[in-house]
Amino acid sequence: MARVKRGVTAHAKHKKVLKQAKGFYGRRKNTIRVAKAATDKAMQYSYRDHKNKKRTFRALWIQRLNAAVREFGLTYSRFIDGLNKAGVELDRKVLSDLAIREPATFKAIVEQVKAALPAEPAAA
Amino acid sequence: MKTFSATPADIEKKWVLIDAKGLVVGRLATIIAMRLRGKHKASFTPHMDDGDNIIVINADKVVLTGRKRDQKMYYHHTGYIGGIKERSARFILEGRFPERVLEKAVERMLPRGPLARKQLGNLRVYAGPEHKHEAQNPTVLDIAKLNAKNSRSA
Repeated sequence: MARVKRGVTAHAKHKKVLKQAKGFYGRRKNTIRVAKAATDKAMQYSYRDHKNKKRTFRALWIQRLNAAVREFGLTYSRFIDGLNKAGVELDRKVLSDLAIREPATFKAIVEQVKAALPAEPAAA
Repeated sequence: MKTFSATPADIEKKWVLIDAKGLVVGRLATIIAMRLRGKHKASFTPHMDDGDNIIVINADKVVLTGRKRDQKMYYHHTGYIGGIKERSARFILEGRFPERVLEKAVERMLPRGPLARKQLGNLRVYAGPEHKHEAQNPTVLDIAKLNAKNSRSA
């Protein structure tokens, strides 16, 4: 049976890790011991943040919608209430995009929402 | 579909002029901070400086409610032992740089960081009724009209 030297596989493994650690700061990019720990942690962050990304974006759409509807004298909360009452099923992602790229369409939606809301009490 | 992210080409920075005479400091500062950050725009992008440029005049005539004019303290530390110093809002408003009351209020309402420091640079506060940005044709924003509580006559 052929003799197996360990240097070859070890080098290959290290190469894989160091390739992933490119662009890291200081010794994290070229010392295998530090680079290994750094890439392991990076992968954990990556896994976690793939999920967090969905929350972050939803939060951003809400912030944008809030800004957009306030121009029409509504708040985000009342806007969403009105959407449900008017039976509009567009989601926050689409709505915030419409507010930026198609203001006319968005305005039409806001009008529809306002119609669905009960009249404001006198002291607003 | 990809969520919109503003690039420098998309950003249109407006110039806004605010007369701070008789306005309540904190209420005014929230509006300024919001506009500096660009959170009043449907295209708000958190990492970009997409807020407005804001000019404030008559910043020495802002109002503090209650007894805050005398009791609100601004602290700083000299670094020496027992070196904490305090100044009241009245002391600053009647001193050489009365506009610092409003500047400080806005600064403390922005999230600390490089972007906030840049956005704070878009705010120009003047104590008197004059400013030197006529060439930018600022649009006037009447804060007092937005809410009855924004101004106090005192």
